[in-house]
Amino acid sequence: MGFIDIRNLVKRFRTKYGEVLAADNVCLEIEKAELITLLGPSGCGKTTTLRCIAGLERPDSGDVLIDGAPMFSQGFVPPAKRGIGMVFQNYAVWPHMTVFANVAYGLKLEGVPRRTREARVREMLDVVGLAGLERRYPGQMSGGQQQRVALARALMRHPKVLLLDEPLSNLDAKLREKMRFEIRDIVSRMEMTAVYVTHDQAEAMVLSDRVAIMDQGKLVQVAKPDEIYHVPASRFVADFIGTTNIVEGQVEEILDDTGLVGLRTGLGRTLCRVRDRAAVAKGEPVYLSIRPEDIEVINSTHGARDNIYTGTITERAYLGHLLYLFIRVRDTVIRAQCHPRQAGSEGEETRIYLDPAKCVVLPS
Amino acid sequence: MGGAGGLLAHPHQHGIRSLIRVDNLLAAFAWLVVAFLIIYPLSFLVVDSFRVAGSDRFGLQNYRAFFSEPYYMGAFLKTFMLSGLVLLTTTVLGLPLAYILARYRLRGQTVFTALTILPIVLPAYAGAFAWVVFFGRFGTLNLLLMQWGIISRPINFISGLHGVVFMQAIHLLPFMVLSLLAAFTSIDPDLEEAAEVEGASGIRRFFTVTLPLCTPSYLAGAILVFLWPFTDWLTPMIFGVIDLLPSIAYINIAYHFTDVGRKYMGIVSVVLSSGVCVAAFLLLKAWVERKRYTGLSKGTTLGGRTIRPKPLVRVASYLYMLFVSALVLLIPIVLGLSGFSRRWVLTPFPQHWTLDNFRTIFTGATRLISNSFLFSGVALGIGVLFGLLMAYLIVRTKALGRSGLEFVSTLMLVFPGVAVGVAYLTAFWHGIPLATHWMVMPLALFVRRMPYFQRMAHAAYQQLDPCLEEAAEVAGASKLRTFLTISLPLLLKGIFVGVIMFFIMAFQEISTAIFLYRGGWETLPVGLYLNWHRGMEFGFAAALAFMMVVIVFVMLMVAAKIGGGVLNVAWGSSGRGK
Repeated sequence: MGFIDIRNLVKRFRTKYGEVLAADNVCLEIEKAELITLLGPSGCGKTTTLRCIAGLERPDSGDVLIDGAPMFSQGFVPPAKRGIGMVFQNYAVWPHMTVFANVAYGLKLEGVPRRTREARVREMLDVVGLAGLERRYPGQMSGGQQQRVALARALMRHPKVLLLDEPLSNLDAKLREKMRFEIRDIVSRMEMTAVYVTHDQAEAMVLSDRVAIMDQGKLVQVAKPDEIYHVPASRFVADFIGTTNIVEGQVEEILDDTGLVGLRTGLGRTLCRVRDRAAVAKGEPVYLSIRPEDIEVINSTHGARDNIYTGTITERAYLGHLLYLFIRVRDTVIRAQCHPRQAGSEGEETRIYLDPAKCVVLPS
Repeated sequence: MGGAGGLLAHPHQHGIRSLIRVDNLLAAFAWLVVAFLIIYPLSFLVVDSFRVAGSDRFGLQNYRAFFSEPYYMGAFLKTFMLSGLVLLTTTVLGLPLAYILARYRLRGQTVFTALTILPIVLPAYAGAFAWVVFFGRFGTLNLLLMQWGIISRPINFISGLHGVVFMQAIHLLPFMVLSLLAAFTSIDPDLEEAAEVEGASGIRRFFTVTLPLCTPSYLAGAILVFLWPFTDWLTPMIFGVIDLLPSIAYINIAYHFTDVGRKYMGIVSVVLSSGVCVAAFLLLKAWVERKRYTGLSKGTTLGGRTIRPKPLVRVASYLYMLFVSALVLLIPIVLGLSGFSRRWVLTPFPQHWTLDNFRTIFTGATRLISNSFLFSGVALGIGVLFGLLMAYLIVRTKALGRSGLEFVSTLMLVFPGVAVGVAYLTAFWHGIPLATHWMVMPLALFVRRMPYFQRMAHAAYQQLDPCLEEAAEVAGASKLRTFLTISLPLLLKGIFVGVIMFFIMAFQEISTAIFLYRGGWETLPVGLYLNWHRGMEFGFAAALAFMMVVIVFVMLMVAAKIGGGVLNVAWGSSGRGK
């Protein structure tokens, strides 16, 4: 059992347009001292799930266990009694209080004596890099600094769990990147269990021990960042994370001895390696997903015999550090990522090779 | 390009030529109007207050006399006390009401919101008349209580200062509720949830986070409330209180114009009232600017947190909203009962029903109605043109002195109506004898009510993307054509609400008009007051008041229909969400 255990969480919202399932039977176990990201497009239910952990939202059914204690099923445990700290999307730093008052707010409510309070706040502001700014008002600080105040406040009461709701989405790109590493650093130094909500995949990849991807209220895949990228569980995940080529196809043959399956796709016959042979059946419609960087644009001489296709370059998109070639094979356009010095201009004919080990077969 | 100077002036042209641009000429015109209709009469008033009675010398005599006379000194302090009490009452009444309306999900909220803010269009004196009939010593409530044997002698519900406090508080409640409502609904829910996570219970959270965040909005409403007793002379008189600054000003100037000593005491009290209003306003402005709460919070489009209250809280909320609504609804109901009846005295409800009062109005007193429409209409015409001009200058141009124009216009928002009336009376009597022409009535109304309209025009202009106008200019339209074909049609909706509110406010104006009317210029409110004052049968005054309330109410409904809800209309689009 995980440190945080989300069990069959269901939350419905009534809107003008009818009922929306914001959390559709979400089950997730989060280990101690793990940083997990809830990632998904807006409206996928990630924030709702986070707010249920926080106790700011009450699920229609299901439960959340923190450190073994149920938060809903045996009487509602209010947010303040859950041992959580939370960083909000808009920081929610109280504009009418100084930095000190903001950070010390929870301690004061706990009845921590003034002296101790001051010492602890100073220590915490040191950790987040705001030493000496106790007397400032949030209005006099930059977005990044306000973000640190919010973080300090969330960490002040030594929570068992840190919840972060898109904490960086209001910062500019440079600062966002810097804060990513800082948050990761602080969280791992304090050995905190953290749940992080974001719609930014780069953020999720950099920060997380594991990424949980949600779509339309459902948890669709929970895995380490590299696994999410290379072995997506569904077409949605493959499409949502990074860029990929999706080609429709049908399982034509299952080659037992090699771990390969042969697909009939829009490109022709394509061999793909599958991890779990039981998951595919002959005749079944499937999707083939392959990343642009896994497509090799080749010259006439190439060792392989299979998975080589001839096509026409329809477009060159030059980005400086890399080059995209859009290549039409029969009626399918494939995007290939190449070295920026790769030759080939629009209208020219070229050949591509798809490594079977890098082709992912996804259920349709 | 067209002939408009703003476009022709090149940046490298210096000196006189670059100053003579259409924008600057328009600003100069606006300044002329402001100088003639606002600055001249008001400074005349201030200067006059230093005049040594009966001579051409100036000195501090009047003020010394005012403050050494216990009666006047007492009135000065009593006005402050009244302001404080009214503010306290509106706060205590308004805080829970605004919270209920903003945060609880309850059925019928729209209706209750509309009822709560109804007094904004009901003239204060109409409410006072109605309350006297209902709560007075031999009013409906006392008579009923005696009939049922609950009391043996009438209770003094409203006669005296407590009645004034209560009546003014109800009249001003909308300002307070609307300010707080705007504050409660625009607070980022995260700010309160953060406090919840940190362990603050409901009440604690309310007092440490929610309420402090409301402070700027609260103060904006509070200042309007606080300043009202410095300008409302009629409500206190109806309840039998006359030792307050505005009442003294009215009595001393309107009835003792020839008694020079008393006249100057009246003028001093008007100047003091104005001084208090302006000082309070400037202090607040400085405070708000210094303490602007700038968070990165984007604000919320959700209308803040809403909660489904527990049954007990729900019942209490309904009872409370019903209580306030009943107090408000009482006003038109009682006025209607009085208006449609004859000799309603010493009985809880009218005995004789009649249409005589209305017949009298439509046969003998049509002039009251036509005057009201004429004066308000002319004031409206001038006000719309001038208000649009001001909004254009302030929002769209870099014309010289535009910030000064804006400042004067906002200041008029808090300036007591009594002061405008007295200033016009003194300044436009000799020298510039404007006060002998009926145009003085609409001009005074225009000066009094223009700021409301200008605020809305201003807000509408700010929401209009300048690109839309620039596109027309690029296409070859002159500034004037651009304004007429692009800006004006797009501004229309925002302005329309302002137009109606301007008209409503001008229609029921009495503080200024009472000083300036002459025989034949009586407006509906003035006629109403005179009929009450001369002790004619109350039914006639009530019928006038009832008619006024109906006219105003119909206009408000039209505005609400077009302006998208009563709330928007009452508050203007600038007040909420920003």
